[in-house]
Amino acid sequence: MASEDPCFIGSKTTVRGQVSGKQDLVVEGRIEGHIRLESHLTVEESATVEADIEATIATLKGEVRGPVVATRSAVLEATARVAGKVSAPSITIVDGARFSGEIEMDVELPAGVVAGNA
Amino acid sequence: MANTVIGSSIVIDGEISGEEAITILGTVKGKVAVAQGVVIEAGATVEADIEGQTVTVSGKVTGNVTAREKLELRPESKMVGNAKAPRIVVADGASFKGNVDMDV
Repeated sequence: MASEDPCFIGSKTTVRGQVSGKQDLVVEGRIEGHIRLESHLTVEESATVEADIEATIATLKGEVRGPVVATRSAVLEATARVAGKVSAPSITIVDGARFSGEIEMDVELPAGVVAGNA
Repeated sequence: MANTVIGSSIVIDGEISGEEAITILGTVKGKVAVAQGVVIEAGATVEADIEGQTVTVSGKVTGNVTAREKLELRPESKMVGNAKAPRIVVADGASFKGNVDMDV
């Protein structure tokens, strides 16, 4: 039941500090600080998030600054403006997304292939 | 849906501010200051000073509450802290410890 009710930060709301939890979070407003979710984080187009982000799935459509770690996948949608390091086993950058920073997918290379010899 | 909702499994440690109404079902520690109404639902735990146009409490609040219009403590609510509002309603069954200031 806990994961059924919605969690939503509206466009005119600012949260400063730490946000943690196990249910899906949709941000249209502003968050500064830390986000630690065992669930799906959606940063909408109108949102600004300046935070260390940890989530299972991160869907980024707005402005994000800070390291993003997604344990399953991260998607930078066409409207995303992201700066920082993005780490996830699966990362999608949609045409139109703006991103500056580092990508880490933790790829398991086949035996005999050394990283950097692409 | 334009309002902010803090879900039941969410914990926020810090400050929430804004121009729109907020409904809290989870846990908030720190400070809540919004221009519209604040609703603290049953099951929610708020350890924070709260400021809003109207403040409606059904859950647990520890902290000082300032409502510019009205503070309402519902039957199942528990509140420890000072209450300041021009109109304050404490329902039968609510538990409350603190000072009341109606600006008389």
